[in-house]
Amino acid sequence: MELSEYVQKGFQMLADPGSFDSNAFTLLLRAAFQSLLDAQADEAVLDHPDLKHIDPVVLKHCHTAAATYILEAGKQRADKSTLSTYLEDCKFDRERIELFCTEYQNNKNSLESLLGSIGRSLPHITDVSWRLEYQIKTNQLHKMYRPAYLVTLNVENTDSRSHPEISFSCNMEQLQDLVGKLKDASKSLERATQL
Amino acid sequence: MLLDLSEEHKEHLAFLPRVDSTVVAEFGRIAVEFLRRGSNPKIYEGAARKLNVSSDTVQHGVEGLTYLLTESSKLMISELDFQDSVFVLGFSEELNKLLLQLYLDNRKEIRTILSELAPDLPSYHSLEWRLDVQLASRSLRQQIKPSVTIKLHLNQNGDHSTKVLQTDPATLLHLVQQLEQALEEMKTNHCRRVVRNIK
Repeated sequence: MELSEYVQKGFQMLADPGSFDSNAFTLLLRAAFQSLLDAQADEAVLDHPDLKHIDPVVLKHCHTAAATYILEAGKQRADKSTLSTYLEDCKFDRERIELFCTEYQNNKNSLESLLGSIGRSLPHITDVSWRLEYQIKTNQLHKMYRPAYLVTLNVENTDSRSHPEISFSCNMEQLQDLVGKLKDASKSLERATQL
Repeated sequence: MLLDLSEEHKEHLAFLPRVDSTVVAEFGRIAVEFLRRGSNPKIYEGAARKLNVSSDTVQHGVEGLTYLLTESSKLMISELDFQDSVFVLGFSEELNKLLLQLYLDNRKEIRTILSELAPDLPSYHSLEWRLDVQLASRSLRQQIKPSVTIKLHLNQNGDHSTKVLQTDPATLLHLVQQLEQALEEMKTNHCRRVVRNIK
């Protein structure tokens, strides 16, 4: 993992019990995770009374360094030994290394979930609704008497802001074809996961 | 139900008894071809020269015949009703039989063409699928994320469009389940009763 000098300096400050006592260290660490993982988190995350005595510039630097490191570690799927090695290099004592690793472990799943959800992908189908109707006549054609389906696929785009819908009509044979093909896909999926 | 033929329409059709029955049959063929592909005025001119009449007359004759066939097909009138409707035109027995045959032979296809005129949503054509596994992205390495990529082919008013979409295994199963329920619905008592009774 390649990390900048800025991050390293931040961590070296974090390692120093003179700048951050045990309590402050834990608080800052938690704040870093919170900023990343809590959708509602904002600048107030560093507004704890037990952090007030620390120079705000230092506070921001360490917070940023920690957050940067956490993201990089998450991205690379760093294991405990990788984390320990880097923290040792930054002069973290045993206790702080343990604290960091525990906190990381607790948040690992959420972190990986967050990172996995970033990125471009094709429009994603989230749901389907259908309507069955019996067609009787149009102004061009009377006495139709046939069933028809209207299928709507709910689709989400990666920016999560647009939710276009795809609607189409089909008769029974066509719907059977559609369902048949989707079933083939899901059977293939089952087989592939058993390999 | 009888067809309501206007005076103008009857005038146009009055051309038909003046020609040979083979010509009428040919007009019938042209009429259906025009419904399939759109009209071609050059055909009128060619026929007009051969029959020694104005091309307008030929055009009216063909159009009159077309309208007769499409209205009858649209309403799905019975053989008897068709015969009674045509009877008022005072044509020969032979011509009436010919017109009836034209109607019966082409009714199904004409109805298919007419159904394409209805307000239209894109309709399903076909579907292709592919299984993918995402292994890594810029923001996260060492992934195993299965997904299904789907290419949906749709038709609308003769235009073909495709939509490329993706879904996850859980949603795929959900889609199959929901749509199978949709298919099952047609077999329920309620739907069967409706189909039986609305005719």
